[in-house]
Amino acid sequence: MIILSIDTSCDETAAAVTSGRKILSNVIYSQVLLHKKWGGVVPSLAKRAHEERIDSVINRALKSANINIKKIDAIAVTQGPGLAIALGVGINKAMELALQYKKPLLGINHLEGHLYSAFAQNKKGNPKKNIAFPYLGMIISGGHTEFVLWKNHLEYELLGMTLDDAAGEALDKAGKLLGLGYPAGSVVERLAEQVGNVDEYKFPRPMIRSGDLNFSFAGLKTSFYYFLKTISEEEKNKRISYLASAFQEAVFDTILIKTEKAMKQTGISNLVVGGGVTANKYLRKKMRALTRKYKGAVHFPSMKVLTGDNAAMIGVAAWKKAERGLFSGTVDRQPRMQISSLAIEEKML
Amino acid sequence: MANNDELQRCVNILRQGGLIVAPSDTVYGLVCDATNENAVKKLIAVKNRPWGKPISVFTDGFEMIDSLTDTSQHSAILRALLPGPFTVILPSRNKVCHLLESERNTLGIRLPNYGWIQDLVHAYGRPLTATSANISGKAPHYEAEGFMNELSEAKRKLIDMVIDKGKLPRNKPSTIVDLSGDSLQLLRQGDILPLTEYSYTSNSALETKKLGSYIAEKYTSLHTEKPVVFIVEGEMGAGKTVFAQGMGRYFGVENIISPTYVVYYEYITKHNSIKTFLHADLYNIENVDEFSHLGLEDYLKKGTVMCVEWGNKIGPLFDLIKKTAHVIPVEISYKTESIRLITIKEIKE
Repeated sequence: MIILSIDTSCDETAAAVTSGRKILSNVIYSQVLLHKKWGGVVPSLAKRAHEERIDSVINRALKSANINIKKIDAIAVTQGPGLAIALGVGINKAMELALQYKKPLLGINHLEGHLYSAFAQNKKGNPKKNIAFPYLGMIISGGHTEFVLWKNHLEYELLGMTLDDAAGEALDKAGKLLGLGYPAGSVVERLAEQVGNVDEYKFPRPMIRSGDLNFSFAGLKTSFYYFLKTISEEEKNKRISYLASAFQEAVFDTILIKTEKAMKQTGISNLVVGGGVTANKYLRKKMRALTRKYKGAVHFPSMKVLTGDNAAMIGVAAWKKAERGLFSGTVDRQPRMQISSLAIEEKML
Repeated sequence: MANNDELQRCVNILRQGGLIVAPSDTVYGLVCDATNENAVKKLIAVKNRPWGKPISVFTDGFEMIDSLTDTSQHSAILRALLPGPFTVILPSRNKVCHLLESERNTLGIRLPNYGWIQDLVHAYGRPLTATSANISGKAPHYEAEGFMNELSEAKRKLIDMVIDKGKLPRNKPSTIVDLSGDSLQLLRQGDILPLTEYSYTSNSALETKKLGSYIAEKYTSLHTEKPVVFIVEGEMGAGKTVFAQGMGRYFGVENIISPTYVVYYEYITKHNSIKTFLHADLYNIENVDEFSHLGLEDYLKKGTVMCVEWGNKIGPLFDLIKKTAHVIPVEISYKTESIRLITIKEIKE
């Protein structure tokens, strides 16, 4: 089954063509360059930009997969979570195309996409990773930090999530406080690497004794902010790599402590981890070491382009839904959509 | 004043453990025999009230107050406040149903300046529950009909009588004064202090959240004809998102996280009249020119409540918002590292 997928959940305009879990094309029109000027995602800009680019992005995805839209079997689109007006652009386009070409429509949760990224394959069907449920799923990105019990295809149970800021957001904000621009996550990674990822400041590890699998990074950001107030600008600049490293370590250490707890709690030692922060090599190393300790394995997005927001992961996540015929007539945007099996159970009744 | 026939019917119902919707000096209340455990349990069920949350009682005079609570410490203050729109918290003598008392073994006492209630308590000779007729977490009612409409069919059957005295004057719920300790403490501010700037002190994140709920309730029930926009200012880490989470909780929205990454999240509420709660964070916005295209003004409709963090950046939009919405500036400032001062500034129309 060949699927055309669209994702406009935040600051990327993306379209892809997939077949099962094989990616035939994956086009991302990144807006990151534009946003640098404003230091963040500006909604009107995002909406306007999505509207201006969506047609060409879809056309390029079809062309690069060498397929005519009439040969597509279904259209999948991200319905949430994300920025309401940006989601709307993708959904409207998907509904318009579905109507025009009489194609069935699928509404997909962006977070499902991040999980399925681990099992996406290229045109030739590589990597040939087997899928062996259950997995402990994690999404770590600029907008999300969540634990999901991934029981089977389309069967999810949310185990914990951030109660305020996402891990990637905390890293971006810390970077911004250090004067590193936006998004600063990758710069923080590089600075930390320069000093061997040492932790000379020991910022707090929030919520590690909370007894649950939730996160809270707002307080960590606050203590970092107050710490920076106590040192001079000169010292800040001199110690910038050490500060970045210590902050990143506090975030990752917290994630690792919680992950180990989740592994013990669920008895699952095989992890699937998706989202933009998984581009961080140091985090990957730490997670590999952790799962090795429990004789498990960790699966990251199978290609680098799948760590960030993209449409191919939406197409792959739509794979089993399409096989089971779980189509919808219309798709409503759900800006704060949560991951669950509920919507599917309802449709199966 | 109550007529004798009506009073006698009420007394009969109370004797049988019945539940009455009755008018008071503030809002419509749910009244039952405060010494009858079965009646109190029924009341808690109708209100959906969490177990363990205390409920105050109506009395008919100081003699009854003395029999129910220890007033020896604060006799003078008590006589200065009552009768009036106050709930006074005192050490309980355990003469009423234990479900009405707090964990600290205190009881809330009401002695309203309202003939009908005084007559009923006097005729019955025992304290009656004094809790507002509303589902827990929802706004209280000034019309008996409004409350009855809010109830499910099954719950409506649990109400034995409705004393409908039409629309009550819009007096706010009582001011709660805690006299159980050594000094007077104001827990909830009712209608008594005609200030245009209200300040609240919060000692913890939990208290900030509760204040968020309280302020959401207070101002959205006051201004029902226009959308309400809370512009929240405060330094990083002051607790703006926590405050927004409290507001969301009042509207039945529990999963609020930082919207920094996507600029705003739109939530569909479980509230009767407020349908949309929009939580925005302008932290990442640096260029004021972009405001004319932000898309936020599309949400300025009746039935929408907006909570805008880093609202000091809203400058250019302020005049437009003020024209169509009721604007409530909120300032959260540090008093110490853990204590916050939350100030609400009412703009005169």
